Amino acid sequence: MASTTSHAPDAGWRKHLPVLNALLRYGILIIIGFLMLYPLFWMIGGSFKNNHEIFSSIGFIPKEPTLDGVINGWKTSTEYTFATYLINTFKIVIPKVIVTVISSVIVAYGFARFAIPGRKYLFALLMATVLLPKSVLLIPQYLMFREFGWLDTYLPLYIPQAFAVEGFFVFMIIQFMRSLPLEMEEAAVMDGCNSFQVLTLIVAPVILPAIIAVALFQFMWSMNDFLQPLIYLSSVEKYPVALALKMSIDVTEATSWNEILAMSTIAIAPSLILFFAAQKYFVDGITSGAVKG
Amino acid sequence: MTNSVKLTDVKKSFNGHEVIKGVSLEVKKGELVVFVGPSGCGKSTLLRLIAGLDTPTSGEIHISNKDVTYAHPSKRGVAMVFQSYALYPHMTVADNIAFALKIQGLPRAEVDAKVAEVAEILQLTPLLKRRPKALSGGQRQRVAIGRAIVRQPDVFLFDEPLSNLDASLRGQMRVEIARLHAKLGATSVYVTHDQVEAMTLADKIVVLNAGHIEQVGSPMELYRRPANLFVARFIGSPNMNILSVKVAGAAATTVTLETPQGLLEIPRTGVVATNGDTVSLGLRPENLHVAADGEASHLKGHVVLIERLGGETFAYVALKDFGNDPVIIKLSGEADLHNHQEVGLRVDLDRAHLFDAQGLALGQPLGAAPDVGAGHV
Amino acid sequence: MYNNKLIGSMYVTPFIIGFLLFTAFPFIASFVLSLTDARLQDQLGAANFTGLANYGEMAGDATFQKSLGVTFFYVFVTVPLKLAFALLIAVILNFKLRGIGFFRTAFYLPSILGGSVAIAVVWRFVFAGDGLINQAFGVLGFGGINWLGEPDTAMFSIVLLRLWQFGSAMVVFLAGLKAIPEDLYEAADIDGASRFKQFWMITLPLLTPVLFFNFIMQIVQAFQEFNGPYIITAGGPLKSSYLLPLMIYEEAFKYFNLGYSSALSWVLFVIIAIFTAVAFWSQKHWVFYAQERDDNKGGH
Repeated sequence: MASTTSHAPDAGWRKHLPVLNALLRYGILIIIGFLMLYPLFWMIGGSFKNNHEIFSSIGFIPKEPTLDGVINGWKTSTEYTFATYLINTFKIVIPKVIVTVISSVIVAYGFARFAIPGRKYLFALLMATVLLPKSVLLIPQYLMFREFGWLDTYLPLYIPQAFAVEGFFVFMIIQFMRSLPLEMEEAAVMDGCNSFQVLTLIVAPVILPAIIAVALFQFMWSMNDFLQPLIYLSSVEKYPVALALKMSIDVTEATSWNEILAMSTIAIAPSLILFFAAQKYFVDGITSGAVKG
Repeated sequence: MTNSVKLTDVKKSFNGHEVIKGVSLEVKKGELVVFVGPSGCGKSTLLRLIAGLDTPTSGEIHISNKDVTYAHPSKRGVAMVFQSYALYPHMTVADNIAFALKIQGLPRAEVDAKVAEVAEILQLTPLLKRRPKALSGGQRQRVAIGRAIVRQPDVFLFDEPLSNLDASLRGQMRVEIARLHAKLGATSVYVTHDQVEAMTLADKIVVLNAGHIEQVGSPMELYRRPANLFVARFIGSPNMNILSVKVAGAAATTVTLETPQGLLEIPRTGVVATNGDTVSLGLRPENLHVAADGEASHLKGHVVLIERLGGETFAYVALKDFGNDPVIIKLSGEADLHNHQEVGLRVDLDRAHLFDAQGLALGQPLGAAPDVGAGHV
Repeated sequence: MYNNKLIGSMYVTPFIIGFLLFTAFPFIASFVLSLTDARLQDQLGAANFTGLANYGEMAGDATFQKSLGVTFFYVFVTVPLKLAFALLIAVILNFKLRGIGFFRTAFYLPSILGGSVAIAVVWRFVFAGDGLINQAFGVLGFGGINWLGEPDTAMFSIVLLRLWQFGSAMVVFLAGLKAIPEDLYEAADIDGASRFKQFWMITLPLLTPVLFFNFIMQIVQAFQEFNGPYIITAGGPLKSSYLLPLMIYEEAFKYFNLGYSSALSWVLFVIIAIFTAVAFWSQKHWVFYAQERDDNKGGH
């Protein structure tokens, strides 16, 4: 916390307070961290165990490592391999991330910089979308996309995102833009830029960390998304990983835990890798809205 | 015509609040004009109107004899150096300087040549590959200036360019800007709240207050013949001492003033006043002297505070029976003086200023040339 | 340039279109649907206007009442616990020591992955009859518990999944803690305030804006939890983890009762709206903003 130095030379044991304090903190953090991450270790370890070992040992390091789980899990119990589902996932997630970033940056620029008639009210609406439960919109959206003939396509999963419907992202970028000095953009105007050039040549490159954060969050959330694909997709060949996994546990759960654990591990591997590669951006992104605002 | 910038009755309101209340002004080709005034006087807004970052509510702006009142900033032939430098952090120094030319679509070879030339002028050549983050404050300032120069504008605009630098660097950059102006001879409009910058850099100073021009003139004109109390107080450091006195008689070349310590006769022409009028007598600190023992004095008082700066000394003297704040006297560094000392003060009466109840200058000092730049425009 | 209203409006046009098409219209449509007996497999034209009948039906629907109770329980337990835990860990982490960054990453990770089907599947295995926890209990000499088979413990498992994801709230708290100037604590030290007092008198008041943000986000998210209970317990046993979003989904897409499902979703909306409205209304009494916000920036 604030200060770790002790001020009393008379009490000898007080000298050791900072060390005790640190030890206590480390102790708590290690125990909690271990307990928290253990299910993840267990999942990864379980992918390389045989089923007997999963049920008989709580350790996470496989005693007799085997690739059976991974191989069978990859094949899945369906007519497609896991590769199909991964590719399907990316067919949804990548367009979604791209249109989210583009639309959020454009709309945020309008909100952050321009004197728009009724800006206050529009901004309030934007924030209201963050708080609005998605289930209220679920059924009419479904009926609407049914009318459009979009059922069993990926379009309902990302077309709305092309219209900056995720208020959280727009808000996040607005916060970043507002922290930029206006003079920089004015200098660009003096240098001959129109507003779109100011946005693309100056503002966007400078707030790149925020843009990366939005892309990462949308990536993670879309990887995790289950309800939307569940509603809109009906052919197995179009299933993303989330649906395939749910389908697999319904079929094989009772016996082949190692296959399921292997599939789960593969399913979160992209998110896991991305998280470790770019965790700084997550933290910056999530805190910008809460602390600056 | 030699006008480079011409403002005609320019007004600007924000949300119904008028911040520029009708400003007309001409800047001649090659001149360096400084806008100076207290914060909130509208000097930066006026600059932004010239730049095109804001548009006036009414009035006209001409640059190089073209009406640019509503033209895009980049189409006015102006370039601006911002207070925060406003460098593009994601670009190298070279790219920062080249940016405007690239936006114009100039061929690459031409851009490179111009950037190299500007970098040479500003001694930025070894820094061209760096990003702004890796530069010192003074270097950033030079890049900002380079970004302006490379466009070869008709008019340079400076918005408090030195206020983010520390004191010693500020002095250095001031000299550099003056040298650059002498070399390029470009028309410049320079905004500052620092009167030292204004006095040292300007060919012409425009004193602004509450959205209108108080006075326009060369630095020494403003100093010697302030048109009103505001300018008198604003220019000069420490501030001019203002004493409240009454007119006891006005002749062709003298004015007699009645002070709590008796009558003072001041040489001044053209004073139109009625006896008994309350007027303000303005005395600059360097025009007050401590009278030697036995020497005749104009005013009496006692020392309340002494500030020794080394090279010079400021003494605060409470004048007997005046009742207002003490006057400040500028003395040499070695001045032999102590607190509570009773002193007599000699006044350089020919350097005294006089203002009427409205704060406008009354008459002129003897031998002054007819009013050149002074007065409202 | 930035006072050009036309250009500015062009930039926010995508939002306006998206808002009208994908938010405002469905929002109103769902209320209209809630006043009908629309069925998923029929044409909408075949639906009849039934007034508030769907809302009246809830009064006699034991499943709905069970679901509502379970939902409130879930929110009231998870939100305070999660916030308290996130704050506690943030305070422990707010310390200049080696490796703190590592722990922050480790604790943040679950909130990134926790919403996924994969984690829910793992959770199901962890709490299964022969799963990880019961195996650990066996090692410690306890008997196994039928976690997912008993109403109380099934709820416990999905509560724990949410608490497991305390990292995002923690990161926000941590940023808030770091924003508190050190000299406030130094001044308090000189004034002789104990660490405990400093926490209550300095840390907590200055953290209230962050607490408010976290509270709102957690409430809104907790009321919408779907993946966890759907995959781990399927709402059971005996509807003991049948959260309202599950019921809304099943009414619409399993039983095809679009009207009733829409009415349920509106009930959920009104509940969330009341909670957030009360929170926003009450914030002037307990949220301490150090300085006024500059909402006009860039707006002239």
